[in-house]
Amino acid sequence: MSDPRTPVVVFIGQPNSGKSTLFNSIAGHKAETSNFPGTSIQHTHSRVNIEGRLLDIVDLPGTYSLCPTDRAEQVVLSHLFSERPDLVVNVVDASTLSRSLELSLELIELGYPMVIALNMMDLAERKGIEVDGAKLQALLGAPVVPIIATFGRGVKELLERAFTVLDEGQVLRGIRGSGDVESKIAEMERLIPPGFPIVGNRRFTAVKLIETGGLACGDLLGEVDPRLASVLAGLRKGLEESRGAPAYEIISAERHHLAMKIFEGTSRVLHGKRLTWDTRADAVLMHPVFGYVILVAVFLAFFLVIFKVGNPLEALLLGPFESLKATLASRLGDGFAFYLAEGLIQGVGGGVAIVLPYFLPLLFLMALLEDLGYLARAGFLLDAFMHRIGLHGKSVSPFILGFGCNVPAIVSTRILESQRDRILTSLLIPFIPCAARTTIILALVAFYLGPLWAMGFYVANLAVVALVGWVISLFLKEPSPGLILEIPSLKAPRPGSVLRKTWLQIFSFVKFAWPILIAGSLVLSLMSFFGADRLVNDILAPLVSQGLGLPRELGVTLVFGFLRKELSLIMMLQALGVEYQDLLTAITREQIIVFTVFISFFIPCLSTFAILWKEIGKKWAFVSVGLSVSVALALSWLVRLVI
Amino acid sequence: MTLIEAPRSTPLRIVDLAGGEGVRRRLMALGFHKNDIIELDGQAILRGPLLVRNVSCDSKVALGRGVAQKIIVEEVHERP
Repeated sequence: MSDPRTPVVVFIGQPNSGKSTLFNSIAGHKAETSNFPGTSIQHTHSRVNIEGRLLDIVDLPGTYSLCPTDRAEQVVLSHLFSERPDLVVNVVDASTLSRSLELSLELIELGYPMVIALNMMDLAERKGIEVDGAKLQALLGAPVVPIIATFGRGVKELLERAFTVLDEGQVLRGIRGSGDVESKIAEMERLIPPGFPIVGNRRFTAVKLIETGGLACGDLLGEVDPRLASVLAGLRKGLEESRGAPAYEIISAERHHLAMKIFEGTSRVLHGKRLTWDTRADAVLMHPVFGYVILVAVFLAFFLVIFKVGNPLEALLLGPFESLKATLASRLGDGFAFYLAEGLIQGVGGGVAIVLPYFLPLLFLMALLEDLGYLARAGFLLDAFMHRIGLHGKSVSPFILGFGCNVPAIVSTRILESQRDRILTSLLIPFIPCAARTTIILALVAFYLGPLWAMGFYVANLAVVALVGWVISLFLKEPSPGLILEIPSLKAPRPGSVLRKTWLQIFSFVKFAWPILIAGSLVLSLMSFFGADRLVNDILAPLVSQGLGLPRELGVTLVFGFLRKELSLIMMLQALGVEYQDLLTAITREQIIVFTVFISFFIPCLSTFAILWKEIGKKWAFVSVGLSVSVALALSWLVRLVI
Repeated sequence: MTLIEAPRSTPLRIVDLAGGEGVRRRLMALGFHKNDIIELDGQAILRGPLLVRNVSCDSKVALGRGVAQKIIVEEVHERP
């Protein structure tokens, strides 16, 4: 290739515009490298090869505008401005076209080469909206390709247009608004001093200066050029006096009116097609009575399905590993080789036969709820309850994600506008039983004491979350700014997409967690061969046997629980030297509960701790550890007293 | 009247967005501007949020009561 640099293509759109679906359908089968949940969830990079041409494609989180109102949107902007992509693919939801166009207009002002993917044409049609793509293209000046990303329709043409723009370049001209506002923008453009950091072009920079005067850029402004700051303030004041509204509102209203005008000029709304299945479904899902009945039913079904699928699967898979171990024991005797082999089988078998059977249905159901758009609806229903713990409905979606894995859940708190809400939500998420802990609860409590006990455990766990939230909110008093949450249209989940999401999660489990499980089991084997585990157990004995009333052999497993919670479960069997089915010969039912309580709460796992540190800072990460340890100690001690 | 006092399922015009800059910016980013036509679609129990539909761009938003109090609306009698 003559050009040594691979072109960077950025996907940008408003939340729920189907941006990630489009990204996946392009990156999907052709991706050479991909990232998985973890620290990089905020944007996914993929290098793809499309008909012999390499592209670096970047999926950014959704943003409503180019004026950030939360952390997630800041990430989008800093990425967009610093990386200077070669092409922007603006994904637009045709079913909410007039609003989506406001972002498109900002992007046109920014002036990077751009292609517009007019997505969800099917949904728009169902809502009775007919969009004329060709007319839209003529008005905006950038190629517009109607697509239906979930079916992959129109994607090929979109890529062709993208390549044309990449090859031939593109000149976008900003669309002008009212005269008085335009003259102020032009004045600002002239006043930008040489050497001032220009983003995109002078006009875009001028618009953003007027619009965001009071935000981060404005603070910086005074440092760069104190004179400019006062000029800008004067100019904004003039505009505000003539229009009787704040500058940001005037600019935003300009774009809003332009977008409405373009929408009206390019779309036909056929009324009478209003009552579609999703409107009717929503009337039930968010009904003041049925909504909550359904919410509780979803919660119970979620739990029961995971247990009913996981339990038989676990029994089925455990058999072969146990017979393998028995064979090896008779062959290898009691030497070093046996210890090693035992550790290996425990690690591999624990991952396959104990963890995976519960993981699989859990991740599948999570993906299903996510794709359906149920999380926002749960947020709407639970808002009033969240107020009791000093939060509001927007925190519900990070909490629900926490049932899958705490790490992406903590990253997703970036959608919250206030830092105080982010901290409170992030401190509570580690108390939500993630997939690993659900596995422990199901494999120990449900298996040995019955599913009702496990269900009770879950409910009690949620009560603990509420209680801890209430206590923390007493210390973080600052009022929450109130709920503003978009409720996206319901979408029938597509099996392909749900399976794909599940698969990606399973893959990341196999890739990142499994090696830790295997290594942990091997280390425990080695430790017990050399007698080192006894040392750790002796040190922890006051806590483990006197404090919690558990067999002292479990001390070492608690230490490893910091790496992965399910590691404690696998190591527990190994440490007690029993098979899964014979667990009750080594430990009582009461001890199982105390162990599960302690393991569930005692510390955020290593990855969670790392992401807390990164997202809300060292201080709060340690606060979280302190909280977990004290809650775990208090609860397990309490449970021991009660039972 | 504020959005909280407004009747359900009738077209309402936004007369004013009161409240702090953060809330107003957020509302505008979600497509709620002065003079837009909206409709109240429902409400959650226990003084929960209101479900508001923006008729012009057909998007739905849940608004907490604190936020809804800051949106001043009037009834629109003719269909938009």
